[in-house]
Amino acid sequence: MSKRILVVEDQEDNRRIVRDLLTSAGYELLEAATGEEGVRLAESHRPDLILMDIQMPVLDGYEATRRIKGTDGLRQIPIIVVTSYALSGDDAKARAAGADAYVAKPFSPRELLAKIRQFLP
Amino acid sequence: MTSLASWTRPNRIRDLLVESVARVPARVQTKLLAAFLTIVGLLIVLGAVGLSVLSGINDRTDELIKLQRKIAAYRQVQHDTTSQLYGISTALLSPDDRMLDAALRQLNQFGYDLDRLEFVAKDEAELLGRVRREYKGFIDVVTNVVDLIRSGNAAEARKKQIEKAGPLADRLERLTNQLVNIAEADMVGAIDATEGAYRKSQFIVIGFVLGSILLALGLGYVISWSLIEPVTEIGAGLRQIAAGDFTQRVRIVNRDELSTLAADLNRTSEELGRLYQQLEAASRHKSEFLANTSHELRTPLNAILGYTELIQDNIYGEVPEKIREILDRVQSNGRHLLGLINDVLDLSKIEAGQLTLSIADYSIKEVVQTVVASTESLAAEKKLLLKADVAEDLPSGEGDERRITQALLNLVGNAIKFTETGEIAVHAAAVNGAFEVAVTDTGPGIAAADQQRIFEEFQQVDSSSTRRKGGTGLGLSISKRIIEMHGGRIWVESELGRGSVFRFTLPLRPGIGRASA
Repeated sequence: MSKRILVVEDQEDNRRIVRDLLTSAGYELLEAATGEEGVRLAESHRPDLILMDIQMPVLDGYEATRRIKGTDGLRQIPIIVVTSYALSGDDAKARAAGADAYVAKPFSPRELLAKIRQFLP
Repeated sequence: MTSLASWTRPNRIRDLLVESVARVPARVQTKLLAAFLTIVGLLIVLGAVGLSVLSGINDRTDELIKLQRKIAAYRQVQHDTTSQLYGISTALLSPDDRMLDAALRQLNQFGYDLDRLEFVAKDEAELLGRVRREYKGFIDVVTNVVDLIRSGNAAEARKKQIEKAGPLADRLERLTNQLVNIAEADMVGAIDATEGAYRKSQFIVIGFVLGSILLALGLGYVISWSLIEPVTEIGAGLRQIAAGDFTQRVRIVNRDELSTLAADLNRTSEELGRLYQQLEAASRHKSEFLANTSHELRTPLNAILGYTELIQDNIYGEVPEKIREILDRVQSNGRHLLGLINDVLDLSKIEAGQLTLSIADYSIKEVVQTVVASTESLAAEKKLLLKADVAEDLPSGEGDERRITQALLNLVGNAIKFTETGEIAVHAAAVNGAFEVAVTDTGPGIAAADQQRIFEEFQQVDSSSTRRKGGTGLGLSISKRIIEMHGGRIWVESELGRGSVFRFTLPLRPGIGRASA
């Protein structure tokens, strides 16, 4: 059975790129366009990994990560945070929110795939 | 210094005086004029007191002269009395008409002397009255004696002279003596009084002089301080403005030109503060705008680059070789554009003072290794030799490792970009509490005239090379800022045709204050 990855990303194009990349790599995709939806899908579908964008309206990636990491049963799901500003100390904030790894935009799809494979061999 | 200290030591009475003068709602000119007029008035009063003292002394002197004259007159009378008494006595002894006439004339002369006394000795009227009465008696006796002699009654005359004239003459002599004694006693008294009056005058004049000096000094002191203190306050206010603090207001109690000046200064400070806030807000807005714009620009660009890579990786099917070549160009231009956007964002953050360093321990060796690892493929593409030479046992430094890596990456990236053949060498060592890093290339070199310019924004030696060589023209500028934020220095040593050496220093422990330069 293929691994399920939840992508929480408000940008349609970014979701599409990740979707095309990951489905071609054999993963099953779950998509959420907002932080709230991301938390809901994480609870209902229990994915094997979550790819979390930081810059989202209303509920941002940090808060969504904190909620998921604060929920019993979801805590163990690895979360890779994707930030836009590589240089503004987002990695430290991501770790503080409980993220397991950190990818800075612009990420190359190849790099992202490599990072995901660290958690889902 | 101690006198100066006590001069400036705060004192309640002094403060009250100075403050009350400062509060006077008059112009500085008026205050100064009033002070000078007061001093002039004091001088006039002092002159008047002196004159009155002088005229007092003059009066006393006149008094003394009068007493002198009186004494002289009394002595004359005394002398006359004695001599006449003897003259008459002698005359009476020789019954010669001529002698008798002379004696009577002398008696009359004595009468004139007495008349003269009336003028000088008005005070001793009672005594003079007695003299006059005695004199009258004496004249009567002498006339009687003379008459007796003339009538040949010499014995009777002699008897009368001895019985009456003698005692009268003695009494007259005693009276005149008394007059002289009184006058002399007056004289002594007058001299004493004069000395006393002189001493008193001295005290008055000295007292007045001292009082005037003290008052003049006091006025000068109080008025000067009522001017100096607000000027000092205003000066302090100006210094605060110069130091960029626009919140302070100068408060002074004066109600003169200085209060106007202070009010103007406060208004200026307020206005400057307002402008400063506007500028700060504008600068903040600019930075925010740039940051937002960069984000907005990068989002679609990331999508373009992402799709491009997916196509290159045949995610959407096999890509023909011809299209692959174009895709490579799309990707390289896209990356260049992304680099530009990132550099502009970095620089705008540095300019706005918003770039803060994350200071932590780092290893310069690791920095060099990271840079070499991420550039060696570029060097290999151009068949350049990339060498790293890091001294052994370098201490760890304190700084923002990622930023330092960025700075060195720019230098090595540039060296690879501009060098066509030969090698690039990175050398790192610790000298005098600082790392010294050098990037040496065998490129075209940089003319002396351009060596400063290249550290400025959007400056490359040959502006056409920007397009040809890629790069934003911001790399060196950003590297310079990053190194300077760490308290270091960057420079280039180069000669046309002989390659370049870019060197920078980084203090092992940068000052905290320089972190957000």
